[in-house]
Amino acid sequence: MLLDLSEEHKEHLAFLPRVDSTVVAEFGRIAVEFLRRGSNPKIYEGAARKLNVSSDTVQHGVEGLTYLLTESSKLMISELDFQDSVFVLGFSEELNKLLLQLYLDNRKEIRTILSELAPDLPSYHSLEWRLDVQLASRSLRQQIKPSVTIKLHLNQNGDHSTKVLQTDPATLLHLVQQLEQALEEMKTNHCRRVVRNIK
Amino acid sequence: MELSEYVQKGFQMLADPGSFDSNAFTLLLRAAFQSLLDAQADEAVLDHPDLKHIDPVVLKHCHTAAATYILEAGKQRADKSTLSTYLEDCKFDRERIELFCTEYQNNKNSLESLLGSIGRSLPHITDVSWRLEYQIKTNQLHKMYRPAYLVTLNVENTDSRSHPEISFSCNMEQLQDLVGKLKDASKSLERATQL
Repeated sequence: MLLDLSEEHKEHLAFLPRVDSTVVAEFGRIAVEFLRRGSNPKIYEGAARKLNVSSDTVQHGVEGLTYLLTESSKLMISELDFQDSVFVLGFSEELNKLLLQLYLDNRKEIRTILSELAPDLPSYHSLEWRLDVQLASRSLRQQIKPSVTIKLHLNQNGDHSTKVLQTDPATLLHLVQQLEQALEEMKTNHCRRVVRNIK
Repeated sequence: MELSEYVQKGFQMLADPGSFDSNAFTLLLRAAFQSLLDAQADEAVLDHPDLKHIDPVVLKHCHTAAATYILEAGKQRADKSTLSTYLEDCKFDRERIELFCTEYQNNKNSLESLLGSIGRSLPHITDVSWRLEYQIKTNQLHKMYRPAYLVTLNVENTDSRSHPEISFSCNMEQLQDLVGKLKDASKSLERATQL
């Protein structure tokens, strides 16, 4: 599958052959850093002064590169397809190799970042538990009521939340049993077949 | 057990065979337990024909006194001797003491269960459901090909009226971690109960 690059995109990327390959590599690093942490316009200005071009040009170059990397990573295109897609830009052999290397080196991390953009439910982070025995309450004395107190740590969109819950011994055993069955499910023939065949 | 004069007066009336014959006594006693333990019980619990001849004010007083006493006894886990002593002080004859104690014994478990369920506690997990899915793609990321679990915990709050659910997603490693920790908890529980 080839990447479809718009005219505007090709224009932005046209900046890259005009600079040194070390600069392109640096742009690549900046692009990934921006994906990780968000963009920082001051960087564009600094680079623009050093290269003696407008900061807009630098920005477009970096953004073009970012888009190239994210689209390729999203689609998980093969090496060959990446090379063919970039070929239409008419860059030098050296630049093409550099871009391919940037793609391969950063693909995994970019995909991780992209996966965080999906519609999201809180996800499991960790769990703490405590055993308690209730001995008395305002309405009943001399009790021996065992219970398990659980602190569930969840993550959602970078926010951490905790839920404090309680359960009784019988339900705890039931929970363990049910969730063990859930884990076992992945090992069944049906699931194995699906995993093997959907690629 | 500290009981008010109101309760004591009620019991003294109950003790009197002139106000309550044997039958009426038993009926009132049963009505008291029923009011407390039967979820469907209402004011009609005192509407028995064999109680019609008794002044309704007296009836209500004794019913309330009995119910109050039963709750206090249940709360303090009173034994037969404690019950007998108090009833003797209220001038109950032997037969009525025996009747009361028998009726109390029959209802003791339900009473303690009821009292134990009153009170605040943390949201209580009652059940779990899970879903296994195989993620293929999102609009941001294609060719994902990985399994994921969606786990929902059914939770009950003490007021029993709200049933919030807690749902979260996890991958295989995370679910294994979760199950591992729950198993640790249940093993600890087993060990603690053997001590």
